[in-house]
Amino acid sequence: MFRNYLKISFRNIWKNKVFSFINILGLSIGLSAAFVIGAMVYYDLSFDKFHPDGERIYRITTSFKSPSGEFYNAGVTVPLAQELHNMEMSELESVAPFFTAYPLYVENPETGNKFKRPDFVIYTDDSYFKTFEYEWLAGNEQKALQAPNKVVLSEQRAKKYFPNEELTNIIGKSIVYQDTISTTVSGIVANFEDRTDIVFEEFISLKTGITQDITNTMESGWDNTNSASQLFIKLTKNGSSADVQKTLTRIAKEHDNPEMVAEGRTNTYTMQPLADIHLNPLYGTFDFNDSRTTISALNSLLLLAVILIVLGCINFINLNTAQGIQRSKEIGIRKTLGSSRIQLVFQFLGETFLLTSVAAILSFFLSKWLLLLFSDFIPQGLTFDIFWNPWVLIGVIFLLVLVTLLSGFYPALILSKYKPVSVLKQQIIPNSDKGTMRKYLTIFQFVIAQVFIISTVLVGKQLNYVMKKDMGFKTEAIAYFRTPWRDVSYDKRKRFVKEINNLPGVTEAVLSGNPPASFTTMSMGVTYHKGDNEVNSDIQLLYGNPEFFNLYDLKLLAGRMPLNDSIREYVVNTSYLKVIGISDPMDALGKTFKANNEDLPIVGVMEDFNQHSLKYGVSPMAFTGSSYTDKWTQFRTIHFKLSNLERSDWSQTIGQIEAIWKDIYPDSDFEYTFMDDTVKRFYESERKTSILLQWATGLAILISCLGLFGLVIHTTERRIKEIGIRKILGASVVQLNILLSKEFLKLVLIAFIIATPIAWYGLNHWLEGFTNKTGLSWWIFVLSGLSMMFIALVIMSVKTVSSANTDPVKNLRIE
Amino acid sequence: MLLQLKNIFKWVNSGGQRVFLLKDINLEINEGEFISVMGPSGSGKSTLLNVIGMLDTFDEGEYNFLDESVHNLKEKHRSNLYKEYIGFVFQSYHLLDDLTVQENLEMPLLYKKFKGSERKAMVADMLDRFNIVGKKDLFPSQLSGGQQQLVGVARALIANPKLILADEPTGNLNSQQSEEIMELFKKLNEEDGVTIIQVTHSEKNAAYGSRIINLLDGRKV
Repeated sequence: MFRNYLKISFRNIWKNKVFSFINILGLSIGLSAAFVIGAMVYYDLSFDKFHPDGERIYRITTSFKSPSGEFYNAGVTVPLAQELHNMEMSELESVAPFFTAYPLYVENPETGNKFKRPDFVIYTDDSYFKTFEYEWLAGNEQKALQAPNKVVLSEQRAKKYFPNEELTNIIGKSIVYQDTISTTVSGIVANFEDRTDIVFEEFISLKTGITQDITNTMESGWDNTNSASQLFIKLTKNGSSADVQKTLTRIAKEHDNPEMVAEGRTNTYTMQPLADIHLNPLYGTFDFNDSRTTISALNSLLLLAVILIVLGCINFINLNTAQGIQRSKEIGIRKTLGSSRIQLVFQFLGETFLLTSVAAILSFFLSKWLLLLFSDFIPQGLTFDIFWNPWVLIGVIFLLVLVTLLSGFYPALILSKYKPVSVLKQQIIPNSDKGTMRKYLTIFQFVIAQVFIISTVLVGKQLNYVMKKDMGFKTEAIAYFRTPWRDVSYDKRKRFVKEINNLPGVTEAVLSGNPPASFTTMSMGVTYHKGDNEVNSDIQLLYGNPEFFNLYDLKLLAGRMPLNDSIREYVVNTSYLKVIGISDPMDALGKTFKANNEDLPIVGVMEDFNQHSLKYGVSPMAFTGSSYTDKWTQFRTIHFKLSNLERSDWSQTIGQIEAIWKDIYPDSDFEYTFMDDTVKRFYESERKTSILLQWATGLAILISCLGLFGLVIHTTERRIKEIGIRKILGASVVQLNILLSKEFLKLVLIAFIIATPIAWYGLNHWLEGFTNKTGLSWWIFVLSGLSMMFIALVIMSVKTVSSANTDPVKNLRIE
Repeated sequence: MLLQLKNIFKWVNSGGQRVFLLKDINLEINEGEFISVMGPSGSGKSTLLNVIGMLDTFDEGEYNFLDESVHNLKEKHRSNLYKEYIGFVFQSYHLLDDLTVQENLEMPLLYKKFKGSERKAMVADMLDRFNIVGKKDLFPSQLSGGQQQLVGVARALIANPKLILADEPTGNLNSQQSEEIMELFKKLNEEDGVTIIQVTHSEKNAAYGSRIINLLDGRKV
């Protein structure tokens, strides 16, 4: 029986090549999208699932409330760990603080081998290994990190630093960080084999930090939160997380600074479950090189996969019910020979499954290619191998069955309903099938395609708008680089600037703080006294000098620059004036605002410019000098303007600057950024959305048009006799074309009418997230609608024109 | 007695009027009979055949087949009944174009859940009996009309039905082919005792049967 079905299926697929092709292609597009997206979801959800008692492990994080909103920090104040430890709460099995460190280099003194910038280094103690269970390959788990100047290495690091050594022999050997921190290897642990965000490789004993703290954070108190200071806890088996949270909240309240509270600034500790770390964008993970998805991004991608699959299924349903008449004879015969309806349903479902499987095989190859094509969107660790994971394979099979049912069940029901008598006597095409269902489904497909088109056009327009819009300062031909932040020598920087200024390709170079717009922001809380009223707000700080001000072409509206680099005088922007309620810039001059109990004078007012993506508005800002002593100056970034505006001529000058760098900072790598590129990077996520949308649109149009094409072939062939007669009676090709396309164009038009409000609603919502936004102009809708019509018309014409051109005599004779 | 029709009526409503397709048909057919149903186009011959074959329903009356009251049976039982006892032969053969001769013959056996080895034996036997062994791997489109109908008859016979219903079995065939098919029917009827009901327009073909039923406007005359 099964073999018989299989044979019939294969012959059927083969006989209707065009339709099978449309079906398989449509389904495989949806399936490959689902495979890749499914793999991403599986990948991202399978992080840190292997830890024994993983559900009892939490990271403690901090959230701040201030007048300008809520902020989050993955770290906690340093004394918190000690306080929790001292309380000896019965709910806590372990309290594991650690500090992330970024040593410049590490050396194996025996061989003299130096390793630059080892990553994933932390200071911690034995409690870390009580919280996270590692397999110990050498050394003593209990005491490995008790004494100062000890280090535990991961297996990979141990092998890197001590090649050709037995692991047990490495114990007792020493490695030296930055020439000053000498440590003895006291243990070696196996790297986690499964996916994890707990990526650390080198564990320096916490006590080492008392004397040699390269993180510079361990000494800080209750008023300072740094993300380098991390705290993990593990609850006991019956420990209630609610109780621990209560204690944390209480501790946070106790240590809130009353003055800050008066200004509306408080902080709280929250417990972040281990499983939440991977996908929560608020706090981030420890590996900054890997791009992170978020739950909401995964949800949108899943939705996309579902949409593409549904579109493919609709093609299947439409073409199969339309082709039903061709198969009605077989159905009739099978029924008279004793087939029951159920058997027929299963036969058709089997056929659908076969077709779906063919599509799935094709999708596997497509997925491999998609993973390469979309490598920007896909986490680095995700490779094609993930498909051999049994759970993923089970998922794939489940998906195939689901798609089979989704696309095969309705046609199977319709087809198996045919009555053998009417079919065999060829008297009537079963009259229940007027194609109403097909019409609805086609409209649905085109609504989706239309919404995608409108969205693509608008997102493109918005992206273009924000990227072209003036930031309020000059960005062309300006680049900057940061000097190594550990190198405190002010003279070296001065020398560097001087040497760059001597280069012929450079107009000007200045030493200052961060550029006017960047990913790093410095800010402070300030209070302005207006009569009896206090205005509390946050103000961003921009550190620079008059040369910097001019290099970026910032505009001074009133007053003057600070007199010199180290004097505390401020030039505020007009947004801050709005906050404190001053309308005329001249009125602000000579006023003061308060920060850290110090009165700070406003000496000038500058014009607003955007400090970040135009998605956000302009923040209140104050421009000032370096305001610290030489060692702690903010002036660490060198900005330079190239004299030539052509990008191609820049490489020589950059090369010269790099040579200077090598001379001054031989231990560090030279990394520079063009201001234009920084601005572009602000829109990274919007650009990604736009690219994905373009693909989604293309695929949605492709699948829908394939389906439309199939339906046109079907109806045109059914009306071939009518075409012949009309032609003999004098209809032109154009008239025939209109006649044949009219019915479908109507569907596309209805789809447009339905799609417009949906797209308008969704896009309006999306645009609300932007401070600077383009309008939802009417022409976007008209353009999108017309292009959809045009595409549909072209697709249909492929078939209708050729049918209209065939010799009518032939069509009529064959009949 | 193989089957019995009592006061069978079948009608359709057209433009508010009841148009009778079958009107008060009474019929008894015994095992081993060879019956020809005759009448002009539209007289209800095929409808009668379909009612007997349980492919079509009727609106009034009683139909007993081998002591089963067909009019009281549910769809599923009815289909089991005809699957078991009735074979169909059609004017336009109705072979499945996508299956070879051999596979076409095998199909009714599949629906009766015969085992693979049994099916093979029965198909081989049938091919042999109808002298079409050499054509077993051909598709219907590669055969002449007569040969196709031969396969059609073989398919109807393969599961040993008690009754064969043939709706103008020779309608698409030339006279020589017709004769061969009719001779085959006669032989089946006489030697194997298969009951046959055929619908035909031709007096000559009707003469092969043992009894003729004439229909006019849905009535027996």
